[in-house]
This record gives sequence, structure tokens and C-alpha cells, in this order.
Amino acid sequence: MKFEDIYEPIEVITHFQEGRLRPLRFKWNGRVYKIRQWNGFWINRQGSNRQYHFSVQADNSDFVELMFDDADLQWQIARVCLDG
Amino acid sequence: MAERLIMHIDADAFFASVEQGFNRQLRGRPVIVGGEAGQRGVVHTASYEARACGIRTGMPLIRAKKLCPRAVFIKGDFAHYRAVGESLREIYLRYTPRVEFTSLDDAYLDIGDSAHLFGSPVYMAREIRREAEEKTGVSLSFGIGGSKMIARIASGLDKPRGINHITPEHEKAFLRELAVEHLPGVGRRVKEKLVDLHIFTVGQLAALPRLAVEQMLGKNGRTLWKLANGIDEREVERKVVPRQISRETSFPRDTGDEKAILGGLQYLTERIARRLREQSLSARTVGLKLGYADFSRAARAKSLERASSDGAEIFGMVRYLYGQMRLKRVHIRHIGVSVTQVRDKSVQETLFDGPRRAEALNSAVDELRERFGFMAVMPAETLQLKSRYRNDAHGYILHNPALTR
Repeated sequence: MKFEDIYEPIEVITHFQEGRLRPLRFKWNGRVYKIRQWNGFWINRQGSNRQYHFSVQADNSDFVELMFDDADLQWQIARVCLDG
Repeated sequence: MAERLIMHIDADAFFASVEQGFNRQLRGRPVIVGGEAGQRGVVHTASYEARACGIRTGMPLIRAKKLCPRAVFIKGDFAHYRAVGESLREIYLRYTPRVEFTSLDDAYLDIGDSAHLFGSPVYMAREIRREAEEKTGVSLSFGIGGSKMIARIASGLDKPRGINHITPEHEKAFLRELAVEHLPGVGRRVKEKLVDLHIFTVGQLAALPRLAVEQMLGKNGRTLWKLANGIDEREVERKVVPRQISRETSFPRDTGDEKAILGGLQYLTERIARRLREQSLSARTVGLKLGYADFSRAARAKSLERASSDGAEIFGMVRYLYGQMRLKRVHIRHIGVSVTQVRDKSVQETLFDGPRRAEALNSAVDELRERFGFMAVMPAETLQLKSRYRNDAHGYILHNPALTR
């Protein structure tokens, strides 16, 4: 099992409800991944901005950490864990 | 008045537990936080599964890999651990307002006035544990007793996920049979001295006359004798002034580049100064630590004229110490800055304008950082690090990100 830092901008389909956001699908390297499971989320305060980190399991069973930065309203794929 | 009742909560293998909590694939597997397997550096935290293979904190990563080849090695992310630590704080504060946070992963709760609201102290601990596991996935161990010392010792006896309540009538018997190294303040050297005298248990130490222990162990002896006899009147303090604040990092590759070394030292100093100002503290003594490529180490400390929380002033001393110490023609692998003699900051320590101007400047810098992140304003010398480290608004991601605070 190996972890890789990626920090690349990605497109994410997100569900916003009652002040909460939840990633549903993301597109990375031309492939769309469905999020199968949410493991947890945490917030990193960067000055007055916040980065929302989501630990999720993609439909190929890989662990992925997604990050939404409210400074530029952009999603990034922060980290992946490749099973192996 | 309710009887004194202190709860000590300690997260089990905190960093590894956070990683396992947020990634189900890691649960039940040996996890080592500190760096990648081939990277130089040491184990910062090992999960209980990794500890079963003989992995210990401080062990070189290369050795850890040999001992436990199937372990998962993780660099770690201090911002993540801090966020989880904050979630734990929020949980504790819902149970009592009297909480002393001694670090990210452990805290003392004065539950004398609130335990009855939850049925019993043990039931309260179970509730906190359930809530913490549900929200963060982190497992906690609890010690409950009539003093901080009893609570602390009890929390460490039954890890992970243990809850130990030592009732007042059992305290003496509990301490009597306990191995002496469980007492806070008994390190390797003190233990050796005590073992030489055939003192193996806390009960044996408690039975000695106080003056004999003082004579044997100096200043520390009096405190130890009191603790051995169950005397610990320390209160749960909401604000704790730390004895020392330090920041350290290793370079990814050994370096002799003065600009990079001084840039790194100034960056670490800025982080310390910010922490001091955040908590309205100042410090008088500045320490510098250098680790050389040949694995030798050098350290030196010197006091400032007056306590300060000004990064430039503290760095002035770091630079002076560096000039005094940097005599070896060997590359440097590790640097560290520390401040001691930390105290609550008095509003005015001098009548002269210089320090007050620096304070005004620092307060403006802090406001900018509060709004735009730590990297919004940086001393020019620290920009040397841009070519070496990835950075975000919060700071540089140093070689050992588990500790990059």
C-alpha cells in the first residue's frame, strides 16, 4: 500500500445542502470515479479561508483524499492510496 | 463541595490512529507515521499493530521497514492531526468547561462537578470515547482518579481503549504495587539510580524518609517522594504556560548552503514567535540545535536581555548562536530552534520605543496572517526555501510533514 501526494485540480460533482458539501463523483486523468464511501472530513483553516478535506473510497476501492478550497472554489485531488 | 475527580484522556497512537480512522483500508494493518519507507528519518508514531512487530517511536525508518516489511509508511499531515485534535477538544468541552489541553492528543478534565450528570465517571468516559470514535475514528484511553498523577498513570495502563477508575480508597494500594518508572519524572537515569538501591515499586519509594530521597535525587526527589505518597495538588489549569517551545526539521539532503540553513532557521523561529504571540507568551532563552551529516550534534543556548515574542529579535540570537557554533566543515542534516523560560507576556516590559514599535509591527503581521495565512508575510531570507519545499498558505511542507506545525 502506497500513498502519493497529487494536489492536482480536478472536476467534482458536489451535493450542497444546508451549508454542507458532499462530493459525489470526480474526474481525474480523463476517468470518472464514483464515490462509494465517505470515511470522514476535516477542515484546515488557512487564514480566513478554509480547506475542506474529504477522505473517500472510490468505486475502484482506492482511498482518495479530495480537497475543496473556498479561496478559489476549486477542488483538488490531494492524496491517493494505491492498494498494492 | 464535590470530591476532586480528574480524568486524563490520552489518544492511542494518535497520528496513526487518525490515519486509520480516516482510511478503512488501514484498520488492522501496521501503520507507521514519520516518512516513507526508504526515506531517512525516524518513526514518529506507530500503530499498535506495528508496535507488536517491535516498532518504537524514534526508531530509524529503514530499521522499521526491516522489522515490519508489510507496514504502511505514511509521511503524515500535521494540519490534519491538528483539525482532529480540535474536534476532540470540542467534544471534551461539552462535558466540562474545566479542561487542560496538554497537547493535541491528551488532556485533563476536572469532572468533580459534572460526572454525576452522566451517571458515573466511567459512563462519562464511555460516552466521550463513543463520540470521539464516531466523529474522528480515533481511539482514546481514560484514567480517572483523585489527582492528575493518578489519572495519568491509570490512563496508560490499559491501552488501547482502556478505562481505569481508581477510587480514593484504592489509590494507596494502586500506587504501592506499581513499578517505579510509572511515576512522572522517573526517566532512565532516575530509574537506574533507584534500581541500584533495590527500589522497584512506588510503595518502596514511598516508604523511604523524604529527606533521604531528596538527598539521593536532588530537587526532583522531593516531588517524587510526594507523588509516591499520592500527594499531588496540581489543579487542572485552563491555560498552561509550556516550559519549552521548539521546532525542528531535517533537510531532504545534507546541505552546506548557508542561505538555506539560515532561511530554515528563520522560518522555524517565525513559527515559534507566532505561537508565542498567539498565546500571549514571551520567552527569554533561545536554543539552537544542529545535526551534522556525520551524525554528531551540537547545541547551544543563550538568554536575551529581556523576554520577547518578536521573531526578528529571537532570530538575531539564533544567528549569533549559529555564528558561534558553525565551526565544523561538515554538511548539516538537521536544524532546530527552541525557546525556554516561557512566561505570560506582560504588557509593558520597557519604557523605550524600540520594542513597542516591534510589537505594533508584529500585531499588524499577525492580523495579515490571520486573514491570509501564515505565508502572507514572510522574512525575505525564508524565501530561499521556496525552491526546496512545497508550500501552501499555511506554510512550507517540510521534510517531516507529520511535525510541520
